[in-house]
Amino acid sequence: MRATVLGGALSWTVPSFLAETFHALEAAAADARTQQPTGKDATILVVVQLAGGNDGLNTLVPHANDEYYRARPKLAIRPGDVLKLNDDFGLHPTLTGLKSLWDEGRLAVVQGVGYPNPNRSHFRSTEIWQTASEADRFERHGWLGRYFDNACPGRDATAGVSLGRQMPQAFAGPQPIGVCLESPERFRAFDADPSSSREGDADDFYRRLNQADASMASDAAEMANAGSSIGAVAGHAATGISPLDFLERVALDAQASSDTIRALSQRGRNQATYPVGQLAADLRLVARLIAGGMTTRVYYVSQGGYDTHTNQAGAHQRLLSEMGGAVKAFLEDLTAQGNERRVMLMTFSEFGRRVAENANGGTDHGAAAPMFLAGGALKNGLLGKAPSLAASDLLNGDPRYTTDFRRVYASVLESWLRTPSAPILGRKFEPLPLLAGA
Amino acid sequence: MLKPLAPARWDYAKAAHLLNRAGFGGSPADLERFTDAGLEKAVASLLEAGPAEDSAPSQDWAKPDPARADRLREMRQATPERRQELQREERRTQREWMMALRAWWLERMARGRRPLLEKMALFWHGHFATSMVKVRDVYLMWRQNQLFRRQGLGGWFELLEAVSTDPAMLVWLDQAQSRRQHPNENYARELMELFTLGEGHYTEGDVAEAARALTGLSLDRTRQAYVYRPLMHDPGEKVFLGRRGRLGLKDVLEEVLAQPAASRFIVVKLWSFFAGGTPAPGLVEALAEEFRATGSRFGPFLGAMFRCEEFYADSVVRSQIKSPVQLLVIAVRQLERELPPGPASAQVLRSLGQDLFAPPNVKGWDGGASWITTGTLLNRHNLAAALVLGEAAMPMGGPRAEASAERALARGANRWPPVEAARLFAPEDRAAVQKLIAALERRFIQGHLGTRSAETLRAYLQTAQTFDDHHLRQAIRLIMCTPEYQLA
Repeated sequence: MRATVLGGALSWTVPSFLAETFHALEAAAADARTQQPTGKDATILVVVQLAGGNDGLNTLVPHANDEYYRARPKLAIRPGDVLKLNDDFGLHPTLTGLKSLWDEGRLAVVQGVGYPNPNRSHFRSTEIWQTASEADRFERHGWLGRYFDNACPGRDATAGVSLGRQMPQAFAGPQPIGVCLESPERFRAFDADPSSSREGDADDFYRRLNQADASMASDAAEMANAGSSIGAVAGHAATGISPLDFLERVALDAQASSDTIRALSQRGRNQATYPVGQLAADLRLVARLIAGGMTTRVYYVSQGGYDTHTNQAGAHQRLLSEMGGAVKAFLEDLTAQGNERRVMLMTFSEFGRRVAENANGGTDHGAAAPMFLAGGALKNGLLGKAPSLAASDLLNGDPRYTTDFRRVYASVLESWLRTPSAPILGRKFEPLPLLAGA
Repeated sequence: MLKPLAPARWDYAKAAHLLNRAGFGGSPADLERFTDAGLEKAVASLLEAGPAEDSAPSQDWAKPDPARADRLREMRQATPERRQELQREERRTQREWMMALRAWWLERMARGRRPLLEKMALFWHGHFATSMVKVRDVYLMWRQNQLFRRQGLGGWFELLEAVSTDPAMLVWLDQAQSRRQHPNENYARELMELFTLGEGHYTEGDVAEAARALTGLSLDRTRQAYVYRPLMHDPGEKVFLGRRGRLGLKDVLEEVLAQPAASRFIVVKLWSFFAGGTPAPGLVEALAEEFRATGSRFGPFLGAMFRCEEFYADSVVRSQIKSPVQLLVIAVRQLERELPPGPASAQVLRSLGQDLFAPPNVKGWDGGASWITTGTLLNRHNLAAALVLGEAAMPMGGPRAEASAERALARGANRWPPVEAARLFAPEDRAAVQKLIAALERRFIQGHLGTRSAETLRAYLQTAQTFDDHHLRQAIRLIMCTPEYQLA
């Protein structure tokens, strides 16, 4: 086992001439990491997708609204059970984690978020949120992919890290950027040559195959220094790249980031107790990667199961309980690390649900719903305006949006990731006052 | 109409292309047989109507389960604790059957005599995208799979009629729940949006009217079979895509397939699955015309597509990112070895993003570049090592792994040895590095490696003193970890 500058260990053996190259390469990359594109103190965005269409009305409950109780004779959360934020709104009783964040001044809720001409298909609406497009326009690239392309020079693959099996469309960009993994332990190529101490170990050649051979060292050094010109090195920035170039890129990113991520996730320590569940496990890993010093700017995690057409009450309670508990633990963890003012967490779901409950104890696909933002640098409070639930104000039974979701994206891009949002979102959206002191 | 490929241009690389795309590849001997046969005979042999059944599955899941209805009834009436226990049992049974069904299908892809039929079944599975996650009945999933095998190369109308009354589909898109009082629009919508026309070729009104017309298609849950219930059908007049009348299923399908968009929609999907990418407008028209000329029958249409010049264009050959199923099955055929044990194969496909019988959503798998992430690509490399080196290198586990798959493997019921590498190469191929590289390329790439891959492979082979099983295995593993190997 050979210790590396990253503080982790590489389990393969490396001939000395290559080892030197690796050292040079990693040192250069480590420098690049601390200096650009993010710097160690830069802000971090964590996106939490609530997949399936979270029932916004039972999440942020309008506990003084008769229309709500009339529309939901079975499913409404009784006023006495609501965790009240003010005289009109409160949280689902199981969201105690978020309530304590609220009490500590670390939670903001944007009400009535949606977009014009809402689409009720999961796929299409998810695509609209991921690409930040108009409802009637199709975009190939995601809003975060465009952010990486515009604002993260140097083509560092780990600028975006997504946990799970599928890369979110939000990361799709003209260049493949972003690392997608399920767990650091599995995110590696396992040694497969039993003769691993012999000269000519095939595992060395495996590594050379997907980049780190000696001739690539100069490219790597260039990459560390060249900033945005790397886009030109890759060559197909404007047109999209060939399948073979794409595969080479991803293989290179996989190999490079696998070492880093495994090393840093082992270096980082969790200092909070998380609830059980995949979302909690994922946020726990994100906290460890942040603690370990990853220069990732955007992490992406998701929690599925929100498509509650039937018997919603129990299922929704379980989902929110895990989500609230996981977010709370994540922020505690960051606080213990001293990173709570560097990180903002943002939830979204492709749509909310119909105001009226259905005949099966559930709710059908709807439209506008609240988004949560959590972090140490936030301005606490309810942002935007809650949609009216009066029958005459609904659009096909759904709340009408009051805040375009791209205004939230614009705010996050401008005030948190500190980059102009118009080139990324295609036009100017008026930001919301998200930050304390803003 | 499509222009056939000139016979003189037929060669080993094109034969490999045809077999990779229309089937699941093969060994050099398979490919040589195809090369010698010539294009016409090669295509004809793929289409040949031999026996679709290699072996009738006698397993528990391949027949109706009359006791199931009783079990479900007992479950509903049981105390909460007992119900939980029964549900656990039922889930375990279904999980084990599903594992067996997956292995059964993969085996047919890898060893069956009708590769095109299985490839087409895979196409239809992705097209109709029905998932066990909602259907929860392995017998119904198997029935739908058999339907694709039986009718997948037949007529479009007949296939749609059969799918509309297929029990798994009736559950999957809620048609079984649809009543004249509350028509459920799910199937009616996806029938047009995802299966036949694409968005923009019908109105919301057409969806509502089709949903009315389709009421009555229902499921007899006790018999696990389709049943038509006249009392649930809305017999009133409908107006659908401009046609007025007391319409039912056949009328809806007739109108849908009479739309000009219909032939274009399905040929584009077929082209993108078999050839890859989106065809240019001129080609779409030629394909659609061909499809109509065959009477909307898939067998003859695919025959024409596999014979046409465009299918062998440079931009098509070796440009498709293999799906996980393609990757696995092509690999075992190239390695002339058996598939990994069922649970291991299932686990591998899952980790690569293609759970058979559980597509991610009603759109099916997106395919193409979406198969590849940093995570799945490393999993592909680990799979390559395991396919060559045997169970010791089997990638298993991970936080999202299916526990039952791990347990099954841990029981060690299925031993799985390293590949016998030496017998894959003739003695003269093992005489020199350059010859060995050529033989590796011929078997695994059926084209040429790029410079970096070729140089790395050469550098490795040059360190080897002898090309024994060990070094050959490692060389194979290396070539299977190249970016080039991910393409077919």
